[in-house]
Amino acid sequence: MISQQAVAACAHCGLPIPRGRAGEYCCDGCEIVRAAIAEHGLEKFYALRDEAAPARTTSASYAELDDAAFHRVHVRTTGDGRAHAALYLEDLRCTACVWLVEATPRCLAGVEQVRVDLGRARADVSWDPRATSLSVIARHLDRIGHAVHPYRGLDREALRVREDRALLVKLGVAGAAVGNLMLLAIAMYAGVFGGMSSADTTFFRVASAVVAVPALGFAATPMFRTALGALRARRLHLDLPLSIGILAGLVWGTANVIRGVGEIYFDSLAMLVFLLLVARFIVLRHQRRASTAAELLLALTPSRARRIDPVTRQIVDVPIDAIAIGDRIEVRAGDTIPIDGVIARGMSAIDAGLLTGESRPVDVGPNDAVHAGTVNMAGPLEVIAVAVGEATRVGALVAQIDALSSRRSHLERLVDTIAGRFVSVVGAVALLTFVAWSFVSVALGAEHAMALLIVTCPCALALATPLAVTVALGRGARRGILIKGADALERLATPGTMFVDKTGTVTEGKLAVATWLGDIDAGGLAAAVEAGSAHPIARALAANAEPTAGATEICEELGRGITGLVAGHRVVVGAPRWVAGQLAPGKHSHDGWVAEVTRRGETPVAIAIDGTVTAVAGLTDPIRGGARDALEVLAKLGWKVELLSGDDPRVVASVGAALGLPTERCVGAASPEYKLAVVDAARAYGPVAMVGDGVNDAAAIAAATCGIAVSGAAEIAIEAADIYLRSPSIEAIATTARAAVATVTTIRRSLRISLAYNLTAGALAAAGIIHPLVAALLMPASSLTVLASSLRSRAFRDRSPS
Amino acid sequence: MTALYIVLPLALLVAAIAVGAFIWTVRSGQLDDVDTPPRRILFDDDD
Repeated sequence: MISQQAVAACAHCGLPIPRGRAGEYCCDGCEIVRAAIAEHGLEKFYALRDEAAPARTTSASYAELDDAAFHRVHVRTTGDGRAHAALYLEDLRCTACVWLVEATPRCLAGVEQVRVDLGRARADVSWDPRATSLSVIARHLDRIGHAVHPYRGLDREALRVREDRALLVKLGVAGAAVGNLMLLAIAMYAGVFGGMSSADTTFFRVASAVVAVPALGFAATPMFRTALGALRARRLHLDLPLSIGILAGLVWGTANVIRGVGEIYFDSLAMLVFLLLVARFIVLRHQRRASTAAELLLALTPSRARRIDPVTRQIVDVPIDAIAIGDRIEVRAGDTIPIDGVIARGMSAIDAGLLTGESRPVDVGPNDAVHAGTVNMAGPLEVIAVAVGEATRVGALVAQIDALSSRRSHLERLVDTIAGRFVSVVGAVALLTFVAWSFVSVALGAEHAMALLIVTCPCALALATPLAVTVALGRGARRGILIKGADALERLATPGTMFVDKTGTVTEGKLAVATWLGDIDAGGLAAAVEAGSAHPIARALAANAEPTAGATEICEELGRGITGLVAGHRVVVGAPRWVAGQLAPGKHSHDGWVAEVTRRGETPVAIAIDGTVTAVAGLTDPIRGGARDALEVLAKLGWKVELLSGDDPRVVASVGAALGLPTERCVGAASPEYKLAVVDAARAYGPVAMVGDGVNDAAAIAAATCGIAVSGAAEIAIEAADIYLRSPSIEAIATTARAAVATVTTIRRSLRISLAYNLTAGALAAAGIIHPLVAALLMPASSLTVLASSLRSRAFRDRSPS
Repeated sequence: MTALYIVLPLALLVAAIAVGAFIWTVRSGQLDDVDTPPRRILFDDDD
């Protein structure tokens, strides 16, 4: 449909420049950022960059960052008079971004240092408050493409850092212990075969104990702690048999060193503790990637508001925390509404897509309610605050998501159940071994029973799940599929009902002209008037035909339509009712065409030339190429796919029909609350997956057994989801579902391997024919087999890259 | 083999010092962010 003749590339991001946009840039964001880069001589940015994306800037003044109230909470001043603050930066992606942000001291006088933490999207800024202010720095960062938010949740962050460091120290200690204990053990094993004086042997045994007991006792504390917690709560946990094995090994080994007879297993134990900590570390790293809900709420709603003084009616820019219920606030056109409130004055159109998923703006006037997070499209509004912060509708959604996310977790049910049986079986067998061997000698009984407890320590069992999941997560991440954890994969592996929010998942997510009724030549005229507009409908019409000529006298009425003069013709394009109002009364406005287009579930746009409607265009969001195949794959895996969207029911029905879904499985006009109710109801019948992209889906995503957010999703939806797809396609969902099944298969295989090992080792120990050297070989061997099995996983291995 | 009685504790002492150094690096925050520093080496110091 679109003829691509020599598409010009944006001078900043390299993406094609949309037709009808003058200049070298694809968007205003890119133009501003490019100018800022050139102004400060930072062109090296382009050499460092490895992925290009369109830049986004805002026109925020950041005046609230200089507020005394803000400084008290977020800014720290050191003895040398320098101020320090942590900022949360948007769109922090790559090396070049780090360089650009860290180059700030070269661009602004008074800025001492900016240090970026890429993983946390955090910048630590220190500056001289006499020479510059935080708002100046924030405006600069914004102008180079990184919108700024105060970094809240520093306490939680500090807690996380402490946790990470503690685990890392334990990992290091365990690693050092493994290395040294192995050297000692090798000497002793050599001594077994080559002969070693008893004094030397004793020396080596004592040295081993001196290294092993404190090091392992310290490094294994996380395992002991969870085991103790599980014991107190009378729950089963894998750490219980692990702790028993480790403790038995340490106590019995020490006893044997003191007695001077009997075997010691310190080297195998150290290896086991080390591998367990490695697995734990890998899992923790993956969990940390997800950012916190608090940061996301900030990204959704503005952190400042324009309060109108009740007496003087002067407008002051204040931090959102300063707004009280009953305050009057001015919301300019194009601004996001910061609070829930009631309109006191003004008429406008509101884009409530964030909350409702409805892509078309809603007209509002005095006494209408507006919600935080929605966007004021047309005119200035005066709003009386009804709810602020967490009390707002979006705040309540976030709170709900938090509650729902903490409700679930604990995938390791299966492993814990196995661990539970494991404890009782191993315990019983150990007792049996002790009793049986006691007929020979009590000491021998104790020796063999202890050996059994140690060698059957289920290390491979503990590694099986994290390893398989990490492999799947890593491979998925390389394909732009971010999976939050083992739970997510496991839940996606059990098929049930999958609810798909239509917008952006099965469709292209971009309007295009689907139907054209009437004069075909009117298309060129319409394209000419729409060429300069950024409205999605305008973009679709502009892309539909070659503009006939340049347009003049363009007058755009937000949310309604546009008029202009093209080659001597007066052209009016817009919503049919508005266009009819623009024409002289009596002229027919082709209600039949409009009805026809509406019946098809398309958005009607009327085009009038010189006072007569000559054409009606039907706009729709076209279906993605691979959507049907992907639905087939999902159906084969056992998923029952349903559409559940906030869009117009007719639109949803037509998309459903195009995909071959029965009508009763296509629900439109679903409110966030309704979606949540549907998902909750469906959960009674089995697993539920919810695929969505808006804040309106977030609660439903969190409530589903497996929530999936797709590209372009509001960050809150990403937070709520178990899986995030960077490419917003149903194909990627099918790939992920298949990978989930493959991962669970791998986990099962690993569990079987590990149980087979334990059976063998247990039998050998019970028979009394195990030796520390055999244990030292068998224990890592089982772990390595599980590792190999995990790496051989077929997850994300299908040939076609998504 | 009497040399062992001196060398072995010495070796363990060296290992303990290494572990101590590692703990210091962790506690001083040098390993808190492992994503950004590897990118910083790509920046030239001269500009």
